[in-house]
Amino acid sequence: MDEIILAKQKITKLQLKKSKTNLKTKLEPYIFLFPSLLLFSLFVYYPFFKTLYMSLGLTNAHGNFQEFIGLQNYVEILTSPDFINSLIVTMKFVVFTTIPSIVIGLLLALLANNKVKGLSISKVMFAVPIAVSSASASIIWGMIFHPSIGMLNTILKTNIGWLLDPQWALLSVSFVTIWMNLGVNFIFIFAGLKNIPEEILESSSIDGASYFKKLFSIIIPMISPTLFFMVFMDIMNAFQSFGQVNILTNGGPGNSTNVLVFSIYREAFFNGRFDTASAQSIILFIVMFIMAMFQFRYEKKGVHYS
Amino acid sequence: MKKRLISKILAVVVTVSMLSGCGSATKQGDANKATKVDGKPVTITFWHGMGGNLGVALNKLVKDFNASQKDIIVTAQFQGDYDAALNKLKSSQVSNSGPDVMQCYDIGTKFMIDSKAVVPVQNFIDNEKYDISSLEPNLLAYYTVDKKLNSMPFNSSTPILYYNKTAFKQAGLDPSTPPKSLTEVESMSKKLLKKDASGKVTQYGYSMPIYAWLFEQFMIKQGQSYANNGNGRTGDATTVEYNKNGGGLTLLNEWKKLVDSGSVGNFGRKTADTQNAFMAGNTAMYLDSTASLSAVLAGVNGKFEVGTGFLPKVSDSDKGGVSIGGASLWIMDNKDTIKQQAAWKFLKFMVSPEEQAYWNANTGYFPVNKKAYELKAVKDNLAKYPQFQTAIDQLHASTPDSRGALLGVFPESRAAVETNIEAMLGGQQSPQQALDKAAKISNSAIDKYNRTNK
Amino acid sequence: MENKKSNLILLISNLVVGILIISPILYALSVTFMTSDQIFTMPPKLLPKSFYFGNYKAVIDTVPIFRFIFNSLVVSIAVTVGQIFTSSLSAYAFSFYEFKGKKFLFMVIIATIMIPGEAIIISNYLTIGSLNLLDTYTGLVLPYLTSAMGIFMMRQFFLTVPKELREASIIDGCTGFQFLTRILMPISRPIIGSLGIYMFLTTWNQYMWPLLITSKPEMRTVQIGMSMLQSAETQSFGMMLAGIIIIIIPSIFIFIMGQKQLIDGMTSGSVKG
Repeated sequence: MDEIILAKQKITKLQLKKSKTNLKTKLEPYIFLFPSLLLFSLFVYYPFFKTLYMSLGLTNAHGNFQEFIGLQNYVEILTSPDFINSLIVTMKFVVFTTIPSIVIGLLLALLANNKVKGLSISKVMFAVPIAVSSASASIIWGMIFHPSIGMLNTILKTNIGWLLDPQWALLSVSFVTIWMNLGVNFIFIFAGLKNIPEEILESSSIDGASYFKKLFSIIIPMISPTLFFMVFMDIMNAFQSFGQVNILTNGGPGNSTNVLVFSIYREAFFNGRFDTASAQSIILFIVMFIMAMFQFRYEKKGVHYS
Repeated sequence: MKKRLISKILAVVVTVSMLSGCGSATKQGDANKATKVDGKPVTITFWHGMGGNLGVALNKLVKDFNASQKDIIVTAQFQGDYDAALNKLKSSQVSNSGPDVMQCYDIGTKFMIDSKAVVPVQNFIDNEKYDISSLEPNLLAYYTVDKKLNSMPFNSSTPILYYNKTAFKQAGLDPSTPPKSLTEVESMSKKLLKKDASGKVTQYGYSMPIYAWLFEQFMIKQGQSYANNGNGRTGDATTVEYNKNGGGLTLLNEWKKLVDSGSVGNFGRKTADTQNAFMAGNTAMYLDSTASLSAVLAGVNGKFEVGTGFLPKVSDSDKGGVSIGGASLWIMDNKDTIKQQAAWKFLKFMVSPEEQAYWNANTGYFPVNKKAYELKAVKDNLAKYPQFQTAIDQLHASTPDSRGALLGVFPESRAAVETNIEAMLGGQQSPQQALDKAAKISNSAIDKYNRTNK
Repeated sequence: MENKKSNLILLISNLVVGILIISPILYALSVTFMTSDQIFTMPPKLLPKSFYFGNYKAVIDTVPIFRFIFNSLVVSIAVTVGQIFTSSLSAYAFSFYEFKGKKFLFMVIIATIMIPGEAIIISNYLTIGSLNLLDTYTGLVLPYLTSAMGIFMMRQFFLTVPKELREASIIDGCTGFQFLTRILMPISRPIIGSLGIYMFLTTWNQYMWPLLITSKPEMRTVQIGMSMLQSAETQSFGMMLAGIIIIIIPSIFIFIMGQKQLIDGMTSGSVKG
């Protein structure tokens, strides 16, 4: 009898211990998430809801909420040709910058991924754009693009108004953005490449696979999580690119580089209209959210995790 | 072990920043509570938007003030360019962490007045019967509404024509006679145009940046108003008038004619780009603020001789003058009369003849105080660089009536004008269309402003 | 033989591409040694006539650039450390645990990437102001101690780590937290290195936030210092580019140091072990 009682006690003790650890394990993820969520609540979610609130009213020149007007701001914006223009310009900009950024980043990573001695300096050079702020990069490139003293026209023997001609301005700003992105894209994709186990590549070489076969059937699938992440970040960064537009073209010429986030900045900090700027921000957020949804749907199909 | 290292670093960083946080917080607290002087000097903060060499010169003036007396210490803080500084001012007012003295650009004048967060300088003038007769009347007129001077003009400029005297000589033009009207500009530009073997233009005759300030100045030159209700000065403006009174149309027609002629360059909206083109010899004439003169002379560095002239008339029959640009100093109402008095003392110092003489010699802004012209520093500077005289002459040739408009939405209105002129020059719309489109945007902005800022 | 030839080709192409990428910076460097009349000339010159140091002197005379560099260092390091800490914790939760609301919380965190910074910056300025943290390092750092990008990135990497590793550690008696710190983090060195470098440099390059939060000259950071070199009336390229070069140097230096970590991390233990 005693043994049974003792055994039962042992079992209950074990069960208690297990449920304690079970509870602890259950709570663990929430505890781990807590610091980030707290910071986000204070510095992202709270301001976001404030923005939402402001978008539904009228504000005065100081940014103070005056009266509630419902969706009027949204109607005003969505029917304004300037806003539609900004949307189109933004979408163009996203396409012009993301695709080259990823492709060139991948090429750079592949180029640098070799065993040749003495190439650490070139890896640093590939990543240097990351050390340059958007303001600095814009000032440097602004000088290179300058109509009178710019180096680019001299080297190419052209006479193009890189930032003054509406045909070229968006391409020029996109080019600078791609240059700025090269460092980040290179670093992350390179890190992803380095994680591919040597044996897999070696064994496929032994099997007689050509470089391109290796690239498309082994390398790219194995780094697809990194690529997915990089495409996602490139797109999101493109939507939020501000510094280059501000310094290089100020949204012009003729609004040809007036991306959405710049239009928001102007509306809030230049025109002093926080109500419509808030509405534009909410619309931008919705656009980005939809894009993200699409990308995550694709993640399920196209991205391979081991 | 890594975790411990990380947490150690974090702890150190957080502690350090908390300590500095504590320090600053107390200072903030003290600053806001100082109503008694108690043998300790009053500290006031001064927010400005002067960078580069202007910032260096400004800091010297502030240093001079602090050294000249023991009761007040002024801390000058750069807050970005004029737009950024104004935005910071707006936000700071919510949390009461704003400055005691604010430098605000000319087009922010109406906003500052409407904000009711300032103490008009007139109050202090009346209180001590301060004599303002030595200050330039045109400058005072700009910042005066309803016979009340709201702020103290500090760094003021007018637009002038810069031209390359050496290029003039080469083209057979008289280097001491700059063009007086846009018609003369057109004919002179034809002679100044230079092309290389491949037909690419190496030197344009003339260029003006697509800068709405110049647009406004040309309106004044023609004696036409920018907005209704006396340019927003006899009452709040409700619409712009430049698209209806013909002034805008005459100007834009001329502007388009110039650029279409092929001998006039278009370097976009940024004045700096046109300025760079001039310094590099890419254009023989251009329009800019007088405040750029020192920088232009330094940039040219003797490569060619620089001449200056009045802003050209649009038509030969124009009789108007010019208004000013630049910024002024405002005393903020922080509900602390001791600090406001200190701010007033500081303002008086900043427009004193000696300080204005230094400011003029080191920047290119002309002296606010007429007495500065009697000082050696200014006389020497004028002797060395006679080009500075043009702006002064032009200012004195204008009357206080030629002061610019007052609009609460000037920045937005300017941007509308610039974008539409850009489109016009690109052949996408006619001058009248450009004016009407710009007016539509401006009027809608004015309307909203008047509604929300009663 | 074959190897040597292809190695040589690789070497040359790497170097050529590298120089091409950094050429704008090399050009900027060259311009910093030119006087104004050399800069404003047509056609523009590639090389300066001699080593003119006036631009650098002008930068040092105009702004307290070294104080700014120090401030930026403090802020960037704090943010980097904070982000690595919070991001790894959160990413760990998302990759190795199943719990209620996991999908929702992940979405909600990713959503923060889509909220434009300009929209929330003023609100954060007011929040920091009400906490009396203006003009402090804490104020500069606090909102950026975590980021969805960091969490996302770590999560991507953690997902490639086989679950068997975790199970093996449980058998060995590791708690969740110990698995993270003793096993997961060490093999994540390359990713942590990349994230760290990226976060450091992003913070180094911040402009709007430090401009709003700080007013006192002693608390300002490098990008503000750079804007202080610009004046409303003119554009002195020589001085501005000199300022840019001065503040690029520490960031490139940090990057090179961090690069070493990266490479070390990649060649030492990893999943294949």
